[in-house]
Amino acid sequence: MDRLTSFEGFLTSVDRDGAIAETRALADASVSRRRLLGLAFVGAGATLVAGVGEGRAASGLSTSDVSILNYALVLEYLQASFYTEAERGGALTGKTAEAAHIVGSVERAHVTAFRQLLGSKAVKRPLFDFQGTTEQPQPFLKTAVAFEDLAVAAYKGQAPKLTSKAVLAAAVGIHSVEARHAAWMRGLFGITPAVNAFDQPATRQSVNRIVASTHFIVERPEMRRRRKPEFTG
Amino acid sequence: MADAAKHGPTAGDGVSRQTILGVAALGALAAVPLIGRLARLTDAYALPSKAQDARILQLVLQLEYTQVAFYEQALQNARLHGELREFARTALAHERAHLAVLKAALGTKAGPRPTFDFGSAVRDPDEFKQTAIKLEDIAIAGYNGQATNLTAGTLAAAAKIVSVEARHASWVRTLAGEVAAPEAVDKPMTAKQVADGLHAIGLKT
Repeated sequence: MDRLTSFEGFLTSVDRDGAIAETRALADASVSRRRLLGLAFVGAGATLVAGVGEGRAASGLSTSDVSILNYALVLEYLQASFYTEAERGGALTGKTAEAAHIVGSVERAHVTAFRQLLGSKAVKRPLFDFQGTTEQPQPFLKTAVAFEDLAVAAYKGQAPKLTSKAVLAAAVGIHSVEARHAAWMRGLFGITPAVNAFDQPATRQSVNRIVASTHFIVERPEMRRRRKPEFTG
Repeated sequence: MADAAKHGPTAGDGVSRQTILGVAALGALAAVPLIGRLARLTDAYALPSKAQDARILQLVLQLEYTQVAFYEQALQNARLHGELREFARTALAHERAHLAVLKAALGTKAGPRPTFDFGSAVRDPDEFKQTAIKLEDIAIAGYNGQATNLTAGTLAAAAKIVSVEARHASWVRTLAGEVAAPEAVDKPMTAKQVADGLHAIGLKT
């Protein structure tokens, strides 16, 4: 199977299975809205990866694309874990809880898609410590704004460097979704959703520096492998 | 497309990469066909080249012309209040900045401002919201749909614009009481789909 062609197909597959139409139809049914939205997005995530392959190595990808995709995957891990932890903690209510649920579902779908695309070359999920930011609404929103704005800048910085057109097509489709999320979280936080006429890119170096400064990543997968023998006695 | 093939891929040409939109030199390029009507746009693309960038920027120019006119007319006629007015004013300022950059990039090749008839979408606040959602979504899908056809420099410039359109779309969805970002990935549109969408909203010529 041509992994890249399949990945390109994920752009349309999300719509093809009706998940989005279902989501919109449910927008007025407030009682079951959250539960069913979740199901719809799980369905979308499954469809995202259904045609991609069975976890084989990403043979069709260039070395630089693999590197960029793994960098994006770490950012998606970071976001997905953050929203999952916030939702499970139960500290969020109302519109903020709804946003965390929907955005978290989408970030988890992005993680799944990248992992499937990268196959055996996908980096493992790091261990995170969000330093209490998922436990109260205001620190949660402030962190969410920072993550989403950072993701927008990070994708923007890497898109022109991608060599595979299929991966680029997918990446720009995710890039604009992250921008929608950024505006959503900014609005909930009470700040202007769209400040400037032009969003600036961020280099990989600066994104890594910002992520490191948060101390949210407490253990990289490489460290976990090295430590493993300590726990086998 | 033949022109694009003639010029050949120029992605490796770093001369204009640092200029605004990466294509400031486009005005000097000969043999760039002026697209008078969106309906004549084709979706057959060659390898990225500056000539092809210019053709794509004509499409994007129509998008920005439409957005500027839409927000201008709505602010004059739709009696927008509160945050909805703030949204429209902010979006208008951004779209004007996008338009200015595109016109500067295209120089004398930039097509003239079209005419529009947005009907009640620029008179009724609720209709305005729904049409703004459609228009911003078309802009996002239009930019995204051209990403693989652009040279790296122009893609980098376009990426600075598309995420701002996405912020507008999210914001106005919230103001309409809708889920701000309902999809996991934004689907692209072809040039033809964008043209059809703009005509449906009120682009006349």
